[in-house]
Amino acid sequence: MTNYLSLSLDEIHSKLVKKEIKPLDLVLEAFDKIEKNEKLNAFITLNKESAIEEAKALERIEVNGLLFGMPIAIKDNIVTKNLRTTCASCMLENFDPIYNATVVEKIKANHMIIIGKTNMDEFAMGSTGETSYFGDILNPWDLTKVPGGSSSGSAVAVSARITPFALGSDTGGSIRQPSSFCGVVGMKPTYGRVSRYGLVAFASSLDHIGPITRTVYENALLLEAISGEDSNDLTSSNKVVPHYVDYLNKEISGLKIGVPNYYMSDVINEEVRNKMKEIITLLESMGCNIEFIDIDYLEYAIPLYQVIALAEASSNLARYDGIKFGHVTSSYQTLEEFYKKTRSEGFGNEVKRRLMIGSYVLSGKNANIYYEKALKIRGKMVDSFKDAFKKYDLLIGPTNTDVAYLLGTKQDDALKSFYDDLLTIPLNMAGLPALSLPIGFNHDHMPIGMQIIGDYFKEETIYTLASVLEKTLNLDLESGKKC
Amino acid sequence: MLIPTIGIEIHVELKSKGKVFSKGKNEFSTYPNTNVTVLDLGYPGILPQLNKEVINMGIAASLAFHAEIAKEMHFDRKNYFYPDLPKGYQITQQKTPIGSNGYIEIERNGVKKKIRIERLHIEEDTCKSIHTEHATLLNFNRAGVPLIEIVSKPDIESAEEAVLYVEKLRETLLYLGISDVKIEEGSMRCDVNVSVHEDGTPFGTKVEIKNIGSISNVGVAINYEIKRQTEMLKNNVKIVEETRRFDDKTMTTIAMRTKETGNDYRYFPEPDLPYIHVNEAWIKKIEEKMPIMPEVLREIYQKLGINEKNINAILSNKKMCDFYEEMRKNMNPIILSNLLTGDIISFMNKNSLEFEDIKLEKNNLGGLVEALERNDISSKQGKEILPILITEGGDYNTLINKLGMKQISDADSLLELVSKVIDENPESVIDFKAGKDRATKYLMGQIMKASRGQANPALVNKLLIEVLENL
Repeated sequence: MTNYLSLSLDEIHSKLVKKEIKPLDLVLEAFDKIEKNEKLNAFITLNKESAIEEAKALERIEVNGLLFGMPIAIKDNIVTKNLRTTCASCMLENFDPIYNATVVEKIKANHMIIIGKTNMDEFAMGSTGETSYFGDILNPWDLTKVPGGSSSGSAVAVSARITPFALGSDTGGSIRQPSSFCGVVGMKPTYGRVSRYGLVAFASSLDHIGPITRTVYENALLLEAISGEDSNDLTSSNKVVPHYVDYLNKEISGLKIGVPNYYMSDVINEEVRNKMKEIITLLESMGCNIEFIDIDYLEYAIPLYQVIALAEASSNLARYDGIKFGHVTSSYQTLEEFYKKTRSEGFGNEVKRRLMIGSYVLSGKNANIYYEKALKIRGKMVDSFKDAFKKYDLLIGPTNTDVAYLLGTKQDDALKSFYDDLLTIPLNMAGLPALSLPIGFNHDHMPIGMQIIGDYFKEETIYTLASVLEKTLNLDLESGKKC
Repeated sequence: MLIPTIGIEIHVELKSKGKVFSKGKNEFSTYPNTNVTVLDLGYPGILPQLNKEVINMGIAASLAFHAEIAKEMHFDRKNYFYPDLPKGYQITQQKTPIGSNGYIEIERNGVKKKIRIERLHIEEDTCKSIHTEHATLLNFNRAGVPLIEIVSKPDIESAEEAVLYVEKLRETLLYLGISDVKIEEGSMRCDVNVSVHEDGTPFGTKVEIKNIGSISNVGVAINYEIKRQTEMLKNNVKIVEETRRFDDKTMTTIAMRTKETGNDYRYFPEPDLPYIHVNEAWIKKIEEKMPIMPEVLREIYQKLGINEKNINAILSNKKMCDFYEEMRKNMNPIILSNLLTGDIISFMNKNSLEFEDIKLEKNNLGGLVEALERNDISSKQGKEILPILITEGGDYNTLINKLGMKQISDADSLLELVSKVIDENPESVIDFKAGKDRATKYLMGQIMKASRGQANPALVNKLLIEVLENL
């Protein structure tokens, strides 16, 4: 078996340009690796036939960019025309979309090749990869551990070097948390930077699409490719998309960096905290000015998320009623029974639990008690972040409170799995860009991730710091080697 | 004596080119499920668009109903399950209606009354569902068609006022050109809330009536409901809050469902659409393009001295009114109104012509009106000329010459004619001297005849009297 997909992007690209390899070689290698890593359960649907066809078609075109011919994996809640999109749910088990998401169109315009649709937590609800209708996804660093979620398969595919690129979605941490657990680079950009058109909605005001990659360089390239205003998404921004790679490996001395006190408090696992402390010392030695700061209401991140995200979800998932698409119950007498049975059969437990909470917090007087209040607190948290960015270029902290844990640990405790997103949710609430970068391993050689948070539409500053740290730390992050 | 309290909620379909939140065509009448986009189906991954034309129409309607326009507005989601609702929620404006605190002024027996409008808001229509014996059929052509809902305050006190209110509202929207407002075809839907109470006591329990298929039936339904509720109270039967349906076969209302306490629509702001900021400049731009409203036109026409009958006839037909407005500033508006509501419209009706079809224009019609005003031609001649102008058009003077209808207004030639006729009729001169009026009339007739109708009758009359008196 070939192993081109473990080479650096520039090396692969140069081989393509010199015609030493063809896009087809990369595609076939990706499918070989999927087969070899079948137990990881990273994919729900493979795009083998079309991918091979597309790769062959690319042989007739001049290599015209760094992303040309590169295999990419797409999270299965991003719609792909004529390629099954299930959201890892029984509800959409047989759903073939009739249109492409905007990001998919952009990927195709860059001549990247979609290898398949990645496994995930059902409707992006979960942070362990265990709520999928298509079975658990495993962490390639340790098959007994969770990969994190909900973009589990995307992080796993990149970590196991099945594809160099993947797209994920992030509503409360679903790109950053699995990226951190799997030792890859995951970016949740500014809200509005990347079009959401074609992302199956979970919580519209918190949903983001973003790149998951092996390196910061690849991440910057893919983000540039998928960003920009989209007339199909009125919440997308018309701000010019920078050429992010121009900002990599620049001088970081003099950067003003804040560390929220809450992100270094005792809610964080000690090993993770110590790793963060090492990084802070390293950055100071490189000339960064680091200060500890307070951001208001960070400790309310989880209840905020439960109210706002689940309220929006209860509305967004109302369309799965068996009338137009998706699962339909086989026998019923009345309309009410039709709805009840269709939705009871189609949704998994975690989804049902969240829809019930979401409906509850919007019902009658609860809307005032919970929803309106949550919006107010969200507003204050945002103000506090904005104040911080008047003083600092970046904020940093760990991505998660801990490293990947054993499968099955949190299944029985509905609340516990929300706590994985404690440090990531605030950035969805604020819409600020945040990237998870691998910064080392714990005693068990499980990856630890660090979160770098930027001001609105300042992804390039995040990439500058991330690229310098990545280069300085020089970690070996190919997960397959350990198994 | 029980006092009725009536409030009306009206849904109006807007005739924008596209749907409100998708790029689908706003054409319901085409083959079912052909004007449908992934958005109208509530497909996974879709996000709403916003059709600015609809916002403009909402601003125009708010202005026409004297409502305050929301400077910052957003949309909300109204959540409920029903097969005709593709997304499981309807995008509407719960918190920030585009218009609020407006009114419609009605006039009854010369007395004017303002019916207050609580709110106007924009929302999307649902699918059209057709229930057959074995299935319910859904037509998504209607899903996403823009609606404006106009909610009155309970200021209406009788069926007659209600009908006047609906008629006025319909007329206004028709003049704005933003809706077909055809209640019979469903582009206007009226839901009426009726309650009755003793003077000096709180309002009674309200009952909602739906499914009213014509404006006159709005009145019928209300009168029936007032009578029904009054009798119930007389017999000490408690009125329950419920929704009833008007049945146009029996002309009665029939109970549909009792109102469940607190319908829970779980409203919350639509996160997929940004807030809309409406500034004065935007409003002004709409205002400048707005047609003059019928109530304003009525006042103008009254001042011009047009009779009520003509005013009503002109205002009841938007196309006629547009035509009148285009013409009236260039000619005598009274004569024009007589011609338009009389000979012109009847000729058009007889020949099934539309205003677009007729060849009348400012110049030729103006020439005719001016000639009639100066008595250059008789009204009888006018009737002969009109059909030619309507069907063939052309220049008025050329036509008059061609028809030999040109008037002789030259005093010298007329005097010659007058003297000749007097010479030929000595008995009439004797009759005139004896004070007999018919003598002048006879002589006038003879002169006109001799001129083949071309003599200016006014001038002839003046010359004739002068000559006779000097004899």
